[in-house]
Parts: sequence; C-alpha cells; structure tokens
Amino acid sequence: MAADRPSVEIADLTKTYPGARVPSVDRVSLSMAAGRVFALLGANGAGKTTIIKMICGLVIPTAGTIRIAGEDLQRNRRHAIARMGVVLEGTRNLYWRLTAWENLLYFGRLRGWWGRRLHARAEMLLRDLALWDRRHQTVRQFSRGMQQQVAIAAAVIADPSIVILDEPTLGLDAEATRRVRRWVTAMTHDQGKTVILTTHQLDMAQELSDDVAIMSRGRLVACRPMHELLEMSRVGAYRIRVKGTLPIAGSDADVLNGWQVTDGDDETVLLGHVTGDAALYGVLDELRRRRASLIEVAPAEPDLEDVYLRLVHAAPVAAL
Amino acid sequence: MYLLVLANEIHKGLLHVWRYRINFLAQLAMFSFLFVGIGFLMGRGRMDAAALPSMLVGFVVWYYAFMAILSMSSALATEAQTGTLEQAYISPAPPAWIFAGRAMATIVSTTLMGGVMAGALVLIFGLRITVGLAALPVFGMTLAGVFGFGFMIGGATLAFKRVDAVGNLVQNMLLFMNGTLLPVDHFPGWMAAMANTLPTTRGISALRAIVIDRQPLARLWEDGTLAALAVHSAVYLLAGWLTFRWCERHARQHGTLGHY
Repeated sequence: MAADRPSVEIADLTKTYPGARVPSVDRVSLSMAAGRVFALLGANGAGKTTIIKMICGLVIPTAGTIRIAGEDLQRNRRHAIARMGVVLEGTRNLYWRLTAWENLLYFGRLRGWWGRRLHARAEMLLRDLALWDRRHQTVRQFSRGMQQQVAIAAAVIADPSIVILDEPTLGLDAEATRRVRRWVTAMTHDQGKTVILTTHQLDMAQELSDDVAIMSRGRLVACRPMHELLEMSRVGAYRIRVKGTLPIAGSDADVLNGWQVTDGDDETVLLGHVTGDAALYGVLDELRRRRASLIEVAPAEPDLEDVYLRLVHAAPVAAL
Repeated sequence: MYLLVLANEIHKGLLHVWRYRINFLAQLAMFSFLFVGIGFLMGRGRMDAAALPSMLVGFVVWYYAFMAILSMSSALATEAQTGTLEQAYISPAPPAWIFAGRAMATIVSTTLMGGVMAGALVLIFGLRITVGLAALPVFGMTLAGVFGFGFMIGGATLAFKRVDAVGNLVQNMLLFMNGTLLPVDHFPGWMAAMANTLPTTRGISALRAIVIDRQPLARLWEDGTLAALAVHSAVYLLAGWLTFRWCERHARQHGTLGHY
C-alpha cells in the first residue's frame, strides 16, 4: 500500500548553526508516509522551519541523513528535489511583476516541464482556483489569499509527490483558508501526495493531519498518528458539568488546580485530567463539599491544542 | 533540461524588462546623459567627435559591467527578500545553470538596451564606428571576465547580504580606472598596472584596437593581447564561480540563503 511506504525519512537530523551553543534541531528522526498529511508543530524557534529547509536542501545539516523516496538528499539532490513542491513561510514565493500564468509556466519549466503538458497543468490549476479569467493579471494585483493560492499552485505545477507547506494559511481570510484546506485534502487523499504542513493553527492541523510531530526547543517531543495522540490524551480526561456557578474553594489544597473551568449561563463546565479513579473521586468529593449540583461526568474528547500544550509544557520528556 | 532552464531565465528576464520598462527607459536616459556629460567634460566644454568613438567603446563595456554587478547584487538581494531565490534552489535544475541563465538574461537585456543607447548616441553625434565580426570573440571574452566578477559580487551578496555599497564602489571605480574615459597608457605606471588587473580594462583596450584602430584579430593574437585577455577573463570567470559556490555553501551552512 502506498501509505506504508516512507516518502520522507530523516534520521538523527541535527543542525547547530555556526556560532550557536545549542542545536536548533537535535537528533530528530521522522518518517513521513505517502498519501498522508504530516503536521510539524511547535512554538516559534522550535526548529520546524530549520527541518523544512534541511529537507528542501536550503540548509546543510550538521549531522544525520534525509532520504526522499529512498534517495539520499545529499548524494542525489537532483532526483530528490524533483519530487518536491514547497511554499515557504513569510515569503512571496512568486514574481509579483509576472502574471499568474507566467509564474506557473516559469516555475514549471524550472522543474523540467514544458509545452502542452505544462500549459494543460497550469490551466487546470488556475481553473481550480477560479483564477483562469484573471490569469493575465500580475500577481501583485491579487489579494493576499489569491497570491498564496497561486504560490501553492506554482509549488505543485510539476505534480510533485511531496508538498511542503510552511504556514500556508498565515494571514488568509476564512474563505481562502478553506480553499487551502480543500486542496490539502485533495492532494493527499485523492492524489496520494505526501503533505508536510507546519502551522500554528492547531484546529486546522487536527482537521487535516494524519500524523503529527511536536517539537520543542529543537527536540522531538512526540510523533504519532493523530488519532493515537488524541487517544493517549483521552485516557484520564474528564468533562464535568455542574449547575450554576461553582462556589469558591475554602481550602488551599484544591484538587481542582489545573482544571479548566468555564462558566456558562446556567452551568459550569470543568475540563481536566486525573490519574486514576481515586483522583476522580477526589474531584467529585471536592465538588460535593462545595455543594455543587452535578449534571454530568463524562470522558472528555481532547483536542490537539490540549495535547500540544500538555506535551510542550511537560518537555523535556522522552519522545512518545 | 539545461537549455530549457537557460531559455526560461532569458524569457523571464525579458518579461521583467518589459514590466519595468519605464524604469529601464529612465535608466537608458540616465546613462545617455552620463555619456554626454563625461564627453563634455573630457572635451573641456565641447563634444570632441574624434575622441567620442573610443570613449563609447569603453562606456558600452562599462555599462555591461554595471548591469552585471547590479543583477548580481541588488537584484539577488531582492530575490532573497521575495523568496524566489530559495525557490530557485528548490529546483532539480542545478543552481549553476539557473544563475548562468540569469547572467545570459542580463546579457540579452543589456544588449537590447545598450544597443538602443549606443545607436542613439552614434546617430546624435554622427560618430563613425564600424563593429565587425572580429569584435565578437573579443567582446565575448571581455563579458566572461565581467560576469566572473559579477559572480564574486553575487556570492558576497548571498553570504554577507547588504553589499550594495561595495557594488556601487566597484561600478564607479571601474568607470574611472578601466580606461573607459582615458586609455590606460595615459595612466601613471602604478595606476596602469592596477587598472590592468580589473576585469574590463584589457577587453576595452582590445576592442578599441579592433573597432577604432581597425586592427585585424590576427595581429592581436600575434602580439599576445588576445591570449592575455583570454587568460585574464578565464581567471576572473573561474575565481567568480568558485567564490559564488563557496559563498552559496556558506549561506546554506548558516541558514541565511533567504535572509536579506
């Protein structure tokens, strides 16, 4: 099955920039499968962009190996790079004085495509973006969202098997973001591409990603299929609903420390983790002591944001 | 693949000339005025029709050097800023070919604009210059040295970023030191020796011998002028290329390829 074959494999990847005391990326090993969206998450400075740039060959690693569809990037750069399309974060990625059409043809030829095949592909992509009628307008005349969509189209013009999107929806409005999401889904599930995604929008990462790696201070904190990561956090996570407002605690040793408490109109929702049944009963005893009227106690469905924050704040820990 | 990359870069370069045509026309006017101003000063208040053809040959070579340095310094810095430089590196085409293509695009656009400028000056001042085929190999060798030097500046831009001031300094130094305004044999010995190390000086001298003095190519070969020019340009081209590759690696080691 295509999904079982690693598309990108990195082993013990390390980057220490000249003059730096600590590595920006420290012995990171990852395997990214074809036909799946791989989210690379982490705070600013966690090392995501350095990893992305090493995969693209823009930054030379201090140690470790990168294999693209089995090809060693350092030894066979040309074949490895030919499989990639990349949209880098924070840059335009396009020539603003050229039209959308000219940009797509330029980047297509840069990747060895030409003639009818290139024209047909460029037309298909621009029609899909609903930009076909505006193809002869210079990119600088487009909105930010349209420019970003053309940048993604330019990245996939030569139909690469690996698409790297570094913060693809940064600064985009809801409609443009939705279109990018739709494209990412289509690229993986319909076309079998590997999409490597970095984003700070964790809801988007949760919705789109099949696998997720979380980085903190250059180290890998977790790397799992998304459902496994969420499942792990589901253990011990509870949502407790009580009527009205939760009375304030009378004691210092509050077992509800660390619980997220949200006041609603008629009820209060508590969300948190416990390490076993005894701890859960301890929480319930505390609520009874406060004379809170219980509505419901149920296992909570954690979201990626909860998992991410717990893992990053718990770092450094051994990789899960 | 390689020819496609070269043609692609030339095509994009010409599209940019067209999109920035007002800017390029203004640049043409500026260079034309510069030539007229220099001619006026050199002629001590009048345009010396006898001296102008020789000066025009030097000026046109300097103009190529100016554009080569510009395309490798500020243009490269702009590409780093817009992210298109990194996109060029994320291509199966060897970066060497992409930058060679960009150098060729600069040659094509500079030839178009320089041709218009030189043609206009020849017509306006009634200059008599005959450019035969013999000038082509000499001009080609001169350009090789010029672009070798351009690659050195380009490398410095990749590795050290803001080097526009160095580029400007070199552009101005070339104008005054490479024999554009005054043949090098009029310089004091030490200055002539220094001028002869510059990338354009020997080329200008050889081109003048062919275009102005109507010397045959064979004579330049016999007296060693061509061989010296070929070696000089080859050294510049090789040194420029090696410098560029070293600086490119430096930028990739430091993760600063896309910085500006």
